[in-house]
Amino acid sequence: MNTMTRSRRAIALATIAVSMAALAGCSASAVGSTSGAACAPEDIKLIGQVRNETNPYEKSWLDGGQELAESLDLEQKRLTYAGESPKQLEQIRQELSTGNPECMVLNVLPNSDSDTTPIVKAVEEAGAHVVTQWNKPADVHPWDGYDSWIAHITYDGVDSGYQIAKAMFESMGGEGNVIALQGILATAAAKDRFAGLELALEEYPGITLLDQQAADFDRTKAFDITKTLLTKYGADVGGVWAANDDMALGALKALDAAGLAGEVKVVGIDAVPEAVQAIEDGAITATVSSDGPWQGGIGLAMGYCALTGELDVTAQPNKNREFFAKQFLVTEDNAADYLTPSIDLADFDCANVFNRVDKALG
Amino acid sequence: MLGTYGPPAALLALCTAFSIASPQFRTWTNLRNVLDSASVLAVITVGLTFVLLLGAIDLSIEGVMAASGLSVALLLANNRNDVDLGFVAIIAAVALGACFGLANGLLSTRLRIPSFMTTLGVSAIGIGVATVLFGGIQPTISSPAVAEWANGQVLGLTRLTFVAAFVVVVGVLIQRYTRIGRYARVIGGAEDLAALSGVRVARYKTLAFTLAGALYGLGGVMVTIQLGSGIVAAGAGQNFTAITAAVVGGTLLSGGRGGVIQSVVGVLIVTVLANGLVLIGVSPYVQKAVQGIIVVAAVAITTWPLRERMRVVK
Repeated sequence: MNTMTRSRRAIALATIAVSMAALAGCSASAVGSTSGAACAPEDIKLIGQVRNETNPYEKSWLDGGQELAESLDLEQKRLTYAGESPKQLEQIRQELSTGNPECMVLNVLPNSDSDTTPIVKAVEEAGAHVVTQWNKPADVHPWDGYDSWIAHITYDGVDSGYQIAKAMFESMGGEGNVIALQGILATAAAKDRFAGLELALEEYPGITLLDQQAADFDRTKAFDITKTLLTKYGADVGGVWAANDDMALGALKALDAAGLAGEVKVVGIDAVPEAVQAIEDGAITATVSSDGPWQGGIGLAMGYCALTGELDVTAQPNKNREFFAKQFLVTEDNAADYLTPSIDLADFDCANVFNRVDKALG
Repeated sequence: MLGTYGPPAALLALCTAFSIASPQFRTWTNLRNVLDSASVLAVITVGLTFVLLLGAIDLSIEGVMAASGLSVALLLANNRNDVDLGFVAIIAAVALGACFGLANGLLSTRLRIPSFMTTLGVSAIGIGVATVLFGGIQPTISSPAVAEWANGQVLGLTRLTFVAAFVVVVGVLIQRYTRIGRYARVIGGAEDLAALSGVRVARYKTLAFTLAGALYGLGGVMVTIQLGSGIVAAGAGQNFTAITAAVVGGTLLSGGRGGVIQSVVGVLIVTVLANGLVLIGVSPYVQKAVQGIIVVAAVAITTWPLRERMRVVK
């Protein structure tokens, strides 16, 4: 009983001490605002937002963000909006209206292109900091009057489609026939990745594209369509190019069922753990990784650096505020490194946050 | 005449047209392929048929398939835990599906909430359960024997085809010879009259929903062992495909009409259409539109004789 009271008193004292320190920190940062620091590091609130945690990729985002947050003695708030655009904006508004938006960093995966503008406007109004990834209308840019929209990061789908195609064609010896499984045809990702395949086809005249079908990024559909295409072309098929790993894994099962596994090359994109394992086992030839944990950490790191004054957002050149980030081809040689994705804290050092800038959009 | 023979005639016409247009379509391999592709859809559509006969609707297929699929993946030998219940795992996953169906039925009949709402809610619960079970790491069935069993062949057809055929036969027997099936049609025809005649409407509705849930669970199990992994999105889009198949086959959304056989014909029409359009080389950019046109045409033909009686169209 006695010890209890004592420990409570100790906690109370500690709380007072901490809050005084925080106050001191605030006033110090207010003084230091000339040097650009807006917040004491311990006051910064980190938020990661993705669609859902039911796919390994988006979960690895939030895990990466959490790892970074822990290295800074902070917590990352995990938000998921189940792929519903109104819910995404609502969640962000809710966060901005509670707590202290000036010390808030959001690392956001907008549901679609059109969701990005309202999100960055809401954040700008509240004075928080945000990094968006993947989706953005082509004619909206972070440098167009936004001080708090630090950057937009995305990946070159043409390049990823091209890289896996090339890896597959090489493993086929530059000769043979392939089939392609496209994603949802109305999406930019599907269009760009397929354009990459077409580029590679031009370079390899010995390879013929027998057929291409839309399997909507879906494993079950890819399984059924691959079976049908195998009925149509039989043993002529030497490779299956899939616009994501889920479809590649579905195609792999169809090849298994047809007794063709191992004879037909399969490639995908995303580097989901199952696909990387399949590469390790020799069943899939290649995939492309955008490095989910890095994506989850980088947005938070940029915001943290901006808030602590180590990164001057408005002074950054345009190439740092909107860019294709580097992506990595995963093959048998390096699959082991991608089996358990994790972050390298050095990537998030304020001096390194723009190290993965690959090229400008467009 | 058209109402009864329309859908089978449409199926026959499609098969004939595709056979003429594509030599690959009329091969044994492709028949096996079509029947295999239709097997999961057939199982869930048989379940859905009992609900549609009641004049109710069931939108919980996606959630129930996800929950059952994830459960069976975690209960068979897998990469996430040391559990391996074998056949018991399948029973457990189907039972889980039946529980979801029971919840659908009880919520609809006891709380008097329209099935449209309850089943949508139960679907969300199922996806939630599946998300928790998923836990960020895809459960992959580690024994290759399971997928080999599913895709392996007996008498030239895959084993899942026989599972589906068995379900269809049992479905027909339930529909014809048990109270669940017979009362489902009665209730769907005129619920008030059924209640006044002493039929325990609530009980038989609940039973029909439970049976349907069990079959969605089985569908989830089939997808999971076919693909070798527990996938939360295993049932994505299946709900509307199943409703389409049932209606194309002649099981009407207004209830009381159609049945298991009709729905299965619908399943075959939908599957043959998807298969045939790929084989004859229709561009993927227009395939969906062509599918839509043929489905609408088939439904129009099927419901033609009923147009006099269906003065109200909802």
